[in-house]
Amino acid sequence: MSIRFEQLQFSYFKDGHDVIPGLTAEFHASNITVLTGVSGCGKSTLLYLAAGAYPHNAGILRSGKVTVDGIAPAELLPPERCRLAGMMFQNPELQFCMDTVKNELVFCLENIRTTPSEMEPRLNAALQFCGIAHLKNRTLLSLSGGERQKVMLACLVALQPKWLLLDEPFANIDDRSASEIAEKLGQLHQEKGVGILAVDHRLDNWVNVASTVRIMEKGRLLPETLSPKNLDFHHLEERGIIVPGGSYGVHRCSGIAQNKVLELRGLTLRHGTTQILRGITASFYRGRAYAIVGQSGCGKSSLFGALLGMYRYGGQALLDGKDLKKLRRKELGHIGFVTQNPQDQFVGGTVLEEILSSLHGKAGAAETAEKILKSIHLWRYRELSPYLLSQGQQRKLGVATLMAYDCRVLICDEPTYAQDRNSTLAIMDTLCRQVKDHHAALIFSTHDRQLALDFADEIWELEGGRLHAVTQSGL
Amino acid sequence: MRSLNPAFKLIGLLAVTFLLAARHDPLLSLSAFVISLIAMLVSRVRLKAMLLLFLPVFLAAAGMFFTGYRFAAGNSMPVRAEILHIGSSAVWNGLTLSSRVLAYAGLGLLFALTTDRIELIRSFQKQLHVPAIFAYGLLAAWGIFPHMALEYRRTRAAFRARGIHVFPMSPSLLNPLLVKSVRWSEELAIAMESKGFDGRTTRSEFAPVLVRTSDWVFLAVCCLGLPAAVFFL
Repeated sequence: MSIRFEQLQFSYFKDGHDVIPGLTAEFHASNITVLTGVSGCGKSTLLYLAAGAYPHNAGILRSGKVTVDGIAPAELLPPERCRLAGMMFQNPELQFCMDTVKNELVFCLENIRTTPSEMEPRLNAALQFCGIAHLKNRTLLSLSGGERQKVMLACLVALQPKWLLLDEPFANIDDRSASEIAEKLGQLHQEKGVGILAVDHRLDNWVNVASTVRIMEKGRLLPETLSPKNLDFHHLEERGIIVPGGSYGVHRCSGIAQNKVLELRGLTLRHGTTQILRGITASFYRGRAYAIVGQSGCGKSSLFGALLGMYRYGGQALLDGKDLKKLRRKELGHIGFVTQNPQDQFVGGTVLEEILSSLHGKAGAAETAEKILKSIHLWRYRELSPYLLSQGQQRKLGVATLMAYDCRVLICDEPTYAQDRNSTLAIMDTLCRQVKDHHAALIFSTHDRQLALDFADEIWELEGGRLHAVTQSGL
Repeated sequence: MRSLNPAFKLIGLLAVTFLLAARHDPLLSLSAFVISLIAMLVSRVRLKAMLLLFLPVFLAAAGMFFTGYRFAAGNSMPVRAEILHIGSSAVWNGLTLSSRVLAYAGLGLLFALTTDRIELIRSFQKQLHVPAIFAYGLLAAWGIFPHMALEYRRTRAAFRARGIHVFPMSPSLLNPLLVKSVRWSEELAIAMESKGFDGRTTRSEFAPVLVRTSDWVFLAVCCLGLPAAVFFL
């Protein structure tokens, strides 16, 4: 019982380089294996190949063979394939096609031709197992990210696959849901003997569940097998992997604290009938870095969305003493934004336009843009659409556009989201330079408490719709 | 109305709209409107939802009435005092136009408010033999709509944050939306496939959508009974 890759050579484009240049490996069903590595190392690709989604949906298998329990998944039809290996994805929003939880489970069971009389007990058992029996008749739209990921797990439990393949299943959900799901995964493995192969660039949630950790680098699997109980932090850091609880080993970015630049007075915000923010009062000074931490869904993104002008809010936000709502468009440009998904902030048709649009036709704009693009090694892609860049490159471009700004406040929503250790350091370095050299105030949200500890001068926690300062030692 | 087979209901109501299109009789249109209102009330559609949806319809109907009234055949363009008197042919003309608006909106909303979209898709597959891949593709696309609205707001905010002015619905705003929706559909397709959805192989049915005698009766009344009645009466 194992997943075997033999002499695997895979590429996304005909004339592109091989993402996986000849890999041979075997993963046994008796283990819960976590594959880790820096972004773009080919770990997700490997998983999609094992699930049979590639090369059917994308890419070219140049040579080699993938087998799951001796069967090639790509040769099976989807109804058989999903009994062999079920897959869970990172984005809980884009996995469903029906309206309610029950209908979605019915959809799964209909696909594998379950007899109608068996469906109700089977879907009830799956919901029960995942602890979400109370959500049965809820619409999927009304669920939180964590709840949706549990529904996805329930679908897989109902389909009863022999293997579970997980692609960063905890990336978009809160810590509590993550640990609950991890626990259920362990239970599935032990009680039902389901083999589990997961891909994750963070190991925090796996420490208690996984039995082995393997590292991938540039499409190759490193020979060593690590035990999650006693990880060699130094070794992981060298490989660019974020270590659970490990320090980034850097000094804070604080420049010289200057005048107050942004002030929030009793900021309130509601989505529908839910009160998200209940009166946020805080002041931010130039030359300082502020981290905002808190559980997923506590309203961090909503707070930033309000400042960005996406949502209506009550109370006041003052930029240099002037109400944000009354500012003219030009003045709004003094706040720089980095969004969680870099694609959300692109405004230009090409990479070059993306930088130029921040310069607002200033003298020497072309030279400045060239300098910036060369410094992040994207100059040769200047005529490409920003959407065609890789995920890591998109993030770099998103942060680099801020270098072109003359901004007084930088607001960054999870700027290091889904980045490996080296990119995280590079991004934070760029942001810190703005604080030091241009005396901007940096406000960033993160769920990585270590990042907050290492880089911020002040840490604020958003909890129950209110913002309160946390001392460094309080974390 | 809720218990009718969705596909049969759709065909029946479509037949009625074709019938109305062929006849210029305000009484017929108005009675179609009143009957759909009654059917909605009997099917326990929420009154508030109905009122909100019919508000723009009434406005449009009033507009159509005055258009028809003012521009009835024989009236000339410049406004003169004598043409604003109540002439029966002008009123009739206005009524014909406005009652058609009401009837179409009534029938359309009757269908929309009393039909479950999942049931509709299931019935399309079963009774009209629409391929599963098309039917479930539609459902999946429906799920993406709320994302589109949010994404549009996000893109607009991004432009605002850079101090760039863009007109609503301008190409530079819609471009990112297009790129993203292609990516979403790919992700969604892979997710559906990994749950065993194929589109070609047969699937079992949890609650098959049935055709009852009442469905046939409804269809016969809409497609044969009503046209015959209108023709002979």
